[in-house]
Amino acid sequence: MKLYEYEGKQIFNQAGIPIPRGTAVYTLQDASKAAQETGYPVVVKSQVMRGGRGKAGGIKFATDEQELLQSVKELQSLELSGERVEIILIEEKLDIAREFYMGITLDPRKSLPLLMVSAQGGMDIEQVAREYPHQLFKMHLDPLAPPRLNNMLDLLLKTGLQGSQLVQAAKVLYNLVRCYFKYDAITAEINPLVIDASGNVVAADSKLEIDDSALYRVKAVQDFNRKSEISDPIEAEAKSLGISYVGLGKGNIGLIAGGAGLGMASMDMIWAHGGSPANFLDLGGDATMEKTANALRVVLKTPGVEGVFINLFGGINNCEQMAKGISLVIDELQPTQTIVVKMRGHSQDEGWAILESINVPTVKFGTTEEAVILLLEQMINKGVTDDGYTN
Amino acid sequence: MAILINEDIRVIIQGITGKQGTYHALRMKEYNVNVVGGVSPGKGGQTVHGVKVYDTVAAVKKEHQVDASMIMVPPAGVLGAVVEAIENNISLIVIITEFVPVHDCLVIRSMARKAGVRVIGPNTIGVISPGKSKVGIMPGYIYSEGGVGIISRSGTLTHEISSNLTYKGIGQSTCVCIGGDPVKGTDFLDVLELFRDDDQTETVVMIGEIGGAGEELAARYVIENGYPKKIVAFIAGQTAPAGKKMGHAGAIVSEGFGTAESKIKSLGEAGITVVRTLDELLEAVR
Repeated sequence: MKLYEYEGKQIFNQAGIPIPRGTAVYTLQDASKAAQETGYPVVVKSQVMRGGRGKAGGIKFATDEQELLQSVKELQSLELSGERVEIILIEEKLDIAREFYMGITLDPRKSLPLLMVSAQGGMDIEQVAREYPHQLFKMHLDPLAPPRLNNMLDLLLKTGLQGSQLVQAAKVLYNLVRCYFKYDAITAEINPLVIDASGNVVAADSKLEIDDSALYRVKAVQDFNRKSEISDPIEAEAKSLGISYVGLGKGNIGLIAGGAGLGMASMDMIWAHGGSPANFLDLGGDATMEKTANALRVVLKTPGVEGVFINLFGGINNCEQMAKGISLVIDELQPTQTIVVKMRGHSQDEGWAILESINVPTVKFGTTEEAVILLLEQMINKGVTDDGYTN
Repeated sequence: MAILINEDIRVIIQGITGKQGTYHALRMKEYNVNVVGGVSPGKGGQTVHGVKVYDTVAAVKKEHQVDASMIMVPPAGVLGAVVEAIENNISLIVIITEFVPVHDCLVIRSMARKAGVRVIGPNTIGVISPGKSKVGIMPGYIYSEGGVGIISRSGTLTHEISSNLTYKGIGQSTCVCIGGDPVKGTDFLDVLELFRDDDQTETVVMIGEIGGAGEELAARYVIENGYPKKIVAFIAGQTAPAGKKMGHAGAIVSEGFGTAESKIKSLGEAGITVVRTLDELLEAVR
């Protein structure tokens, strides 16, 4: 779960990290009130999940009410990488002397959290790594022994910080590391960390992503509203049913796979043989009859789907239950789409018998590739072309 | 010889009284796995398909030698179960559970490496040495004994490729599913190292997927150390859109990192045979 900047800053604030004064608003009236309380000049920041907001015109400044209202209107009409701006953060304008970077993310090469700091703040970290690699200072964190304040001081000394700013920044960094562990973060980042003209250290931005698997124990984020995160209604419906579904655009072949790897390989095979998958769907490890039925309903509902490839294994799941789910939906919806099932594993004989009793073409011992070819042949026989149009 | 497990291995199931634990206890017994006990706090004294249930791992150990534990408890209980297994000196721990928090995985991995314990997973179907034994949830009859060692991030692709090989008369030495999460107890290169010295294993199959750096690290390991056996690799997700999590927590291409192209290129540079489709894989192994 990615947090908006203002939500991340609430968490930072509770953790003792200084943040600018400000308020998140949805309306012009609230924006005007927030700006008056904060005092002009203010920064007007669109709240979106994606990066690169500044370059795309998502941050504005206002010295009076007229400029503020103009800025808010402009931001509200903005779409950043397909994301509509709904929430706007009104904040005091900092008098910036210097900008630093500090962040923690997972290093896939070591399977350890990696702490990084740099005196090159304000640009994205990939750019810093490319253009100023010698100014990016790194330290792996031990999950069994989180670092102490003196470790933070040592790391930040390399950036050239000194005196009161060094100590303030080290405290911020120490608290950021605490946030990373306490809130089950995947990424925790402050960019930029600002040193203002009076020498105060302030987190001018926040980037915080919480591990979805840990949300049950991160109470602080459970109240954050997230209804707009998934724009595709079918994707949202699948998620509410506990099914991992990714829409792929204009394809005409629906896909249901047991397991992510098999799903991806099936998708690759459909493309390789000239087909066009409409979706990726991983049924997951608790594929009951009902869940299998739900998955098939969702895929049959996907616009443009004219053939469905169901590729399942009875590992943790059971072929008989999954076949019952498929049979249920075929009975209920009488779909016109071509359906091919490849299925084996626990209770395969029972599963195959159910599918054969309703005349669903079933691949028992063949490969995924053979099953894909069978589906494509059956679709052509039915008069569906590669473009998805019926002859 | 096979790796990690052989016919003598003594196994416990932590979480045996749950629905999945009960189901797979039976399946393991059908495969003649020596399941010496199950663990489920508060259920000590019960039996599940003839397997005695204990309240704690220490309680099992008072009555049995234990070589491996299969963890089938819900995500929130996994860290505690693994710590219990490590404290009781169980040398192989296989975590089947999916959706274990990443921070718990980080702790598990660090603890296991410190204690010299082998953890496989989480989010895995486990390990099988066909014809000998298994610590996992795979249906045994689609696997067969032979000379191909398999390392895979994906459970169902392990089934798919092993069963395809079996139907073509090609058996497997050991199939290790390392799991689909970003932080795992065991990585590709750890298993490559085990297969290196295994006399039963003639060819190694690596089944990777998009995301992470495990395939690239395995390629670097082969370049630096050489490898005495043929390795064939397949990467799933070659056509996956960037920025989308493809079912597994670890299967995501973000900011250009972890792409199929980068993995295929690294593996190719290490002299590994990289196939584009699953049928090509069968040909390459044959």
